[in-house]
This record gives sequence, C-alpha cells and structure tokens, in this order.
Amino acid sequence: MFKQLLLKATVVAALACMSATALAEEKTIKIGSQVPLTGGLARVGLDFLEGIQVAVKQANDDNEGQYQFELLTIDDETAPAKAVAAVEKLASQGVVALTGGYGSNIVGPASGAAHELGIPYITSGGMAVGLTQRGFKNFFRLSNLEGYSKAMAGLAKMVDADKVSIVYNNVESTTDLAEALERALDKAGIESVIHSYDGSTGNFTPLVNRIRLQDRPDVIAMVGYENDYIAILRAAKILKPDIKAIVGGWSLATAQMNSEFNDVVQGVAGTSMLPYPVHFSGGEAQRFAETFTELHDKTPDYIAQFSYVQTKLLIEAILRADKAGEITGESIAREMHKTDSETLIGRVTFDENGDNPHFANHIGQHQGDKVELVWPESAATAQMVLPGRPW
Amino acid sequence: MTNSKMNNRILVAAVLITTYVLVPLLFGGNSYLLGVVVSAFTIAGIAVAWALLGNLGGMISFGHAAFFGIGAYTSSLLAMRFGVSPLLGLLLGGLGAVVASLAMLPVLRLRGPYFALAILAYAEIFRILAVELKSITGGAGGLLSIPGLPTVAGFDLNTKLGGYFTIVTIVAVSVLVYYLIRRSTYGLALRAMHDSENATRVLGVPATRLKALMLIVSAFITGVVGAFNAHFINFLEPNYAFAGTWTILPIVAAIFGGYRTLTGPVAGALVIYLMDQLLFKSLIPQGHQLILGGLLVAMILFAPDGLVGVLLRKVKGGGDHATT
Amino acid sequence: MFELTLQAVFSGLLSGAFYALIALGLALVFGTMKVINLAHGELILLAAYVAYTLESVAGWSPLASLPVALVVVGICAAGVYFLISRIKRDRELNSLILTFGLAIIITNGILMIWSADVRSTGGDWAHGAFVLGDSLFAMNAELLAAGVSVVLVVLLYLWLNHSWYGRAIRAVSSSSEAAKLMGVNPRQLELLSFIIAGVLATFAGVALYSAQTIAPELGHNLTITAFIITVLAGMGSISEVLVGGLLIGVIEALTVTYFSSSLRELSGFVLFLAVLLVLPSGLSGLKMKTRKAGPTGVSPGSSEKPARQKQLQHD
Repeated sequence: MFKQLLLKATVVAALACMSATALAEEKTIKIGSQVPLTGGLARVGLDFLEGIQVAVKQANDDNEGQYQFELLTIDDETAPAKAVAAVEKLASQGVVALTGGYGSNIVGPASGAAHELGIPYITSGGMAVGLTQRGFKNFFRLSNLEGYSKAMAGLAKMVDADKVSIVYNNVESTTDLAEALERALDKAGIESVIHSYDGSTGNFTPLVNRIRLQDRPDVIAMVGYENDYIAILRAAKILKPDIKAIVGGWSLATAQMNSEFNDVVQGVAGTSMLPYPVHFSGGEAQRFAETFTELHDKTPDYIAQFSYVQTKLLIEAILRADKAGEITGESIAREMHKTDSETLIGRVTFDENGDNPHFANHIGQHQGDKVELVWPESAATAQMVLPGRPW
Repeated sequence: MTNSKMNNRILVAAVLITTYVLVPLLFGGNSYLLGVVVSAFTIAGIAVAWALLGNLGGMISFGHAAFFGIGAYTSSLLAMRFGVSPLLGLLLGGLGAVVASLAMLPVLRLRGPYFALAILAYAEIFRILAVELKSITGGAGGLLSIPGLPTVAGFDLNTKLGGYFTIVTIVAVSVLVYYLIRRSTYGLALRAMHDSENATRVLGVPATRLKALMLIVSAFITGVVGAFNAHFINFLEPNYAFAGTWTILPIVAAIFGGYRTLTGPVAGALVIYLMDQLLFKSLIPQGHQLILGGLLVAMILFAPDGLVGVLLRKVKGGGDHATT
Repeated sequence: MFELTLQAVFSGLLSGAFYALIALGLALVFGTMKVINLAHGELILLAAYVAYTLESVAGWSPLASLPVALVVVGICAAGVYFLISRIKRDRELNSLILTFGLAIIITNGILMIWSADVRSTGGDWAHGAFVLGDSLFAMNAELLAAGVSVVLVVLLYLWLNHSWYGRAIRAVSSSSEAAKLMGVNPRQLELLSFIIAGVLATFAGVALYSAQTIAPELGHNLTITAFIITVLAGMGSISEVLVGGLLIGVIEALTVTYFSSSLRELSGFVLFLAVLLVLPSGLSGLKMKTRKAGPTGVSPGSSEKPARQKQLQHD
C-alpha cells in the first residue's frame, strides 16, 4: 500500500517536473561573430571579441531559464575572402544575426555576403563611406567617420589653430577620415594640408621634417594606427616642430597607449569616448566593467566598449522580435531600426541606411598616467594642457 | 591503345566526372563549402600558370600576384565603366595581364632570383599605382559591387555553383594548354632535361622568344583567374588584388603537389587549401596556419617530389620520369 | 630648401644602413649557399622579441639582451640549417619552400607567445635626439644601428676575404667538390655561414626593437626588404649590400620629402628595377668590369666553369 503510494507520488512528481521543464523550456539563440583573430588586425579582433562575450554573458544571466544565447565565432584571418567564408559557415550553422567585423575592406564583402543570406549584420569597425550607401536594410553600424572628424576639428578650433597638417595612412578608412577631417576643418575656417604615407613606413623623420619646415602648422593631425602614431611622435620628439597640439584618430587616447608608451604620448590628444582610468558610474557602465573584469581579468578599452554596445543592442532587438512573433532576418532588422537607446557611447538610433547619426566622439588627452576628456566642454573631465605635445 | 594510355584516359574521365558531376551533386547545396572549393581552385589555376612558367620557361616568379591583380582590375573596370560582359571580361582580363607581361620583357634576361624578385617589384609597383591612381581604380577603397558573371544558356553563373563550374573549367583548360605545350617539340626537349639538375643549368636558358611566349601564356592564365575572382567576390581593392597570398600560396601548392608534374599544382592547391580551411581551422582556430607551416616542412624533407610525385612512384613502381 | 634636402639625405643614409643590416645575413647565406632563407625576417623578429621579453620582465636594456638573443637566434639559425641540409636535391627550390614553412611557424609562434600588440623599447636614450649642427636630426638608436651596420659590413668583408674560414666559405660556394679536395668540409662551413647569418640577424633585430616598433606580422616585410637589397647588391657581394641599402634609403627619403610619402615604397622598387635593367647582376656588376675575379660565388648568367677557374687562378 505504502509502496503503491510512493510509486504514484514519484510518477506524479516526475510528470510535474517534466511539464515544468516543458513550460520553462529554454530557447537557444545562436549569434555569429566574424572577427580577425590572426593576421594584421588580430590585436583589435581579440579586444572586439572580448566585448561581445561580455554582452552575451550578461544576456544569458539576465534571461536564464528563458533564453540561452550561444556565440559562434570564426576567425576571418584579416582577409576579405575568408571573412565571406566565415559568414557563410556561420549561416550554415544557424546563426540569426552577426556582430563583429573590423576593417572596412573586410566588413564590406562580409556584410555583403550576410545581406545575400538575409542575416542582419552590425559592426563598429567599418568606417568607410561606401558601406552605408549600398541600400542594405539589414546592415548597421554604431560609429562613422563624422563622429571622429567633428571631434578632431573641434579640438583644433579649441586651441585656435589657423593651419593643420594632416598625416594619414593611405588605406581606405584612414584616407576617408583624413578627407572628412579636411572638410570639417574647412567648415570651421581652418586651413589644412594633407600628407599620405604608406603603412609600412618605419621612419617618419623626413615627413615630419617636411611638415616642420614647409607647412609650419599649428596642429598636426595623425590618422593611422598605433605603430604609425608611435613612429610619428618619436620623429616629432626629435625634430620638435613648433606646434600647439597633436591630435590623432582612433587607437591613440587609450589606456594601452598610456601604460605602454607613456612618455611618447604625454600631452597628445586623440578621440576617446571615455576617460582613463574610467570611473564607470551608474548601473549599466559599472556592470559592464565588472562583468568584463570577471571574464577577462583586465579593464575594458574602447574597442570592447563598442562591441559590447553593438551586441547588446542586437540581442535586445532579437528578444523584441521574438516577443513580437518570430525570429527571422527581417524581423530582427525591423526591430533594430526601432532602436533608440542610451548606451555607454551615448544615444543610439539607426537611420534607414544603418548609420547611427548620434555618434559623436570626444577628445581625450594623455595627462600623466591618465587620459582626461578635454573636448567637448560638456563632457570634459579636465582642462586641456597646452602645448599638447610630448616635448 | 597501350595499357598505360588506357589507364590515363580512364583516370582523366574519372576526375572529370567527379569534378563536374559528383561534387556539385553532393555539395551543391552547401554555400560555404562550395565557396572554399572555389577559392582552392582559384589558387590551383595560378599554381598551374606558375608551374608552366617555371618548367617550360625555366623562370621562377615571385610576383604572379601582378598578373592576378591586373586581370582583376582590367575586367572589373571594363564591366563597371563600359558595361562589358564579365564573361568577355575574363578573356580581356587575361589580355590585360599579357600587356603587363610585355612591360616585363626587359627583365627576361635576368637570371634566377633576379628575375623572381624583379617580378615581385612589378607586382608591388602595380599595387601602389592602383592605390595612387584613384580616379581610375577607385584608390585604396577599391571597387565595390563588381558585376557578377552572366547567365549562359539558361544557367546563372552568378551563383556559387555557377562560379564553381567556371573556375573548374578555367583550370581544366589551363592544364590542357600546359599539356599540349609540353607535348610539343619544344616541351619534349625540356622534359628530357628535367631529371638532371646540372643539365638544366648547362642547357643555359631557352631562346628568349620562347621564354617570352611562356611568360605571356602564364600571365594570360593568371589574369583570367584574377578576373574570375573579381566577378565572383564582387569586390576588389589594391591590397587584396595584389596580395602576396596570390603569389605565395600557388607556389607552395605547386611544390607541395609536385612541381614537375602536370596535375601536381592542382592537387597541391586543393589539398593544402581544403585541409587548412576545413580541417586545421576547426581543430586549432588560432594556430592552424602553424600546422600548414609544419606540413610544408615535413613535405620538403620527406617527399620532395610532392604529393603527386609520390603517388606516381607508388603506382608505377619506380622511374623518375615526369609523365603526368 | 637645402636644410630639407640635407636632412632627407641624412635620414636616408641612416635608414639605408639599417636596411643593409637587415639584409646582411640573407646576403651571406645567399652568396655562399645559393639558398634563399625566407625565414630570415622571422629570425630578426625573434631577436627583437627576445630583447622585448628581457626588457619587460627583467628590465634589461636592449644592448644587455644581445648575448641572450645571440644564443637564441644562433640556435634557431643552426636549426634552420640542419633542416636545409637534409634536402637531397633541388636544394635552391626546396629550401625556398622549407624556409617559407619555417617562417609561417615562427611568425605564428611569435603571435601565440607574445600576442599581436605593438611593442617597442621604453629606454630613454634610444629615442633621444642627436642633433648635428642645429639642423641635422636623428634618433640615437638610429645612429647606433647605422654605425653597427657599417662595422659589421666591414668585419664581414674582411673576414670573407682574409681569414681562412672566410675564404673557405667562398671556395665552397664556388665549387664544393674542389673545396673538398682542398681539405675543406662544406657542411661545417655552411653551418658556420648560417650561424653567422643568425648573429647578423640578431643585431638587426635588437636594433629594430630599439629604433622602431615591432609586431608579429613584420617578419614577412623584413624578409622582402632583405631580399631586395641582397639581389640589388648582386649575389655574393657584401660591400654592395651597404651601397644598395644606402641608395634605396636615400632615394626613399628624397621621394618622401619632395613628392609624396605614399610613394616611398614605389621609389625603392623603381630604383631596384632600374638598376637591374642596367646591371643584370646587380651592383656587383660594376665591380666585375674592373676586377678579374668576381667576389664570391657564381656570377649569375654565366655557367659555372669560368667562375670556378677564375677563383682558382686568383688564389
């Protein structure tokens, strides 16, 4: 008798469990990320991935029991054709959307392939003007050139420059930014001279000397990558041109540059969303920093901030799409276009071409062991130190 | 018909059937896989052209990317600016590469590594010109949305499968051309010399006119392959079009597969590229290129005749002559 | 204007001497064994990373890390030679692929061990300014690297032409059969020349780390630069390596100053082609016309016999 009761109870309990699990069945959603983990852009790619991972982890923590986000990552080896292959492989593995991509010449073909396959693609690593001129309804990007050029021109104006010499790497994205900067400076009534250089240049003494003796500018603007900046700054420290400030584009006013090349970047300004050390105040920012440190055992930098935000927005759009009915390429894209959020990098919406018109960068300056925001005034954390140069 | 000739014909037929029928049937639906195979065959095409120049022309080139890029840009620009059909563009791309090779004629008299490096210099010069001549080539930004291949006889070539058939045909025709040239009186004389290294040196170098012809043929094939790639990927930019990969991988493939054999370059390209992308990359996502390096080293040390060379020896049981 | 040109020439000479330093090891091996070591750039990079590790972990200055780097790269160079010596035939072509495979392994190894970040020395002195007469500027490290380059070129030249080992290496490269008859062990000498190439690469790598920034993908570019200078100089001639390097360095600097910096590489390649068109055997062709015997090895474009006879006559 007792045994029978026990048996019945067990069966009932088992059934209850089963139906409970059936009710609380977790939905697995696959997100793909195609990033450079090897090749020339490997360093950026790894940082990128770290930010994405934080967003996915948070989403899984927040939606435990209801949704499980699975992140599938494939290395695009900094090669366009391999990026296309990566996108195709991810598609075959069932991802509903893609977050990632760095380098306009890679993002171009990769997002093209994603478009063909009907998969939404969001990036913060493709600045080229042409990317949002293809009429794609499922391509999105967080940042664009204007956000950078406006900031750099703003700094030039703030230090009362009459003439700026722009030195830029001759690959596409840096060329585009240099040209955008030229336009922005022109609008502000500031004269500019441009010099393009080859990315494999190791010795900038002749070029900087030419600027020093022929151009005689008030400000030197650098548009390139880390190794370019260091080489240019070193040459400038030798030649000591008489300028008020040096300002650079991306990858310059970063924590990494401050800690690894501190004496070379003193007084140098560059685009930066947040100061360093960054005091993440307020709920989301703090949570981001904590999760990042938990996952990766270091403090986040600007690349991870961007990739975190883009992934978070993507996941939110996916969740909205699911609640509204179903998860498809079109429904996600539709929800993405409805995005209007205050994020770590400011307000984000997407226009019909996928650009974020609210993107506006700030300028940070290396002051001692810190990077202080000096422009615009509304976001400044400190006064700019003049002259803004490492000598 | 002798036994070995019969065997050869059966082998060729089997390969053709596999390529044109089996592979599309089995993998036609898998976009990713087809894309990888197309890339492998693209490398194979260049590898054949490179081996042809090396074997028949006696010249090693370190700059085949030059022909690849010129072919790509020629065809793309003609399609985008003048509406030329990409299919015709393939041939015109090859011709563009031929024109580029004519610019290289002065360096034909250079020997060995001097020639090899001179061609590399040309490739780099073309790349830099592609960046600087912005109004013509689109500069560093390159060309986006290049038109794809057209529909031929009701079959849309602008698909993964269509691209597959196109490149496979290009490679097959290239191998055929290689075979025919080799069989001709000129080719026969060279083949007899191939066994003896010293003899190749003592032979000196074949008459300049014939060398030039081999350069032209090699350039043409590579240019066609380059043009194909542009219309397949629909995207082009200087660093990509003239990338060192287009030079290096075909060389590695040709030597891996068997530099002196006819099919070695193709086999080498397929094996290396497919193994790397399909096998190694999934096993070791971040270090898979390392395995490739290790494989090359092992290959050179233990099987210098290349894959096909080793297979041939096993099949025929000895004999060093390069027959296939 | 004059000031600008003078600085350009000065900078060009310095960077040209550095190019020569990069090329020396490759030129030596190429001249003596007719082997193109495509992993040469990676050996240079390896030395640079060793210097980086010692500086970041133990605070050693790049100069202090030289001995350790010499050992590490020397061993690697010997390892490369060991593998090459196992090639049974077609050594010129097969060693090309072998060293290419090794280059891939080393580059990826460096990437995995040291990550893709850009590195450079933090030392103050290295980046200090050296000012000559108020209008000529250079980085201390640049100057030192150029000086080291010249010294090494001279030492190498003297060694190859006046020491027993040096001349034995030249004999082996010309004809290993004849050398054996003279009591020389070709293998030992080839190993020696490889190790010396490793030593030269080490100096280049430490100099690179001191004067510029390093990243894993540099290996390939270094090899190409070394190769171009080597071929420009002409097979087997050491002094022309310095001349070739200087020439390219100066032309590049003048192009940057007076035209556009993005044409810098173009000027180097055009110069390279121009020289080869006029002198098919590279710069060493200039010497050939004035001397009876060639420097070392076989001059390209001629068959072996005449050079060998010349060599024996000379000695």
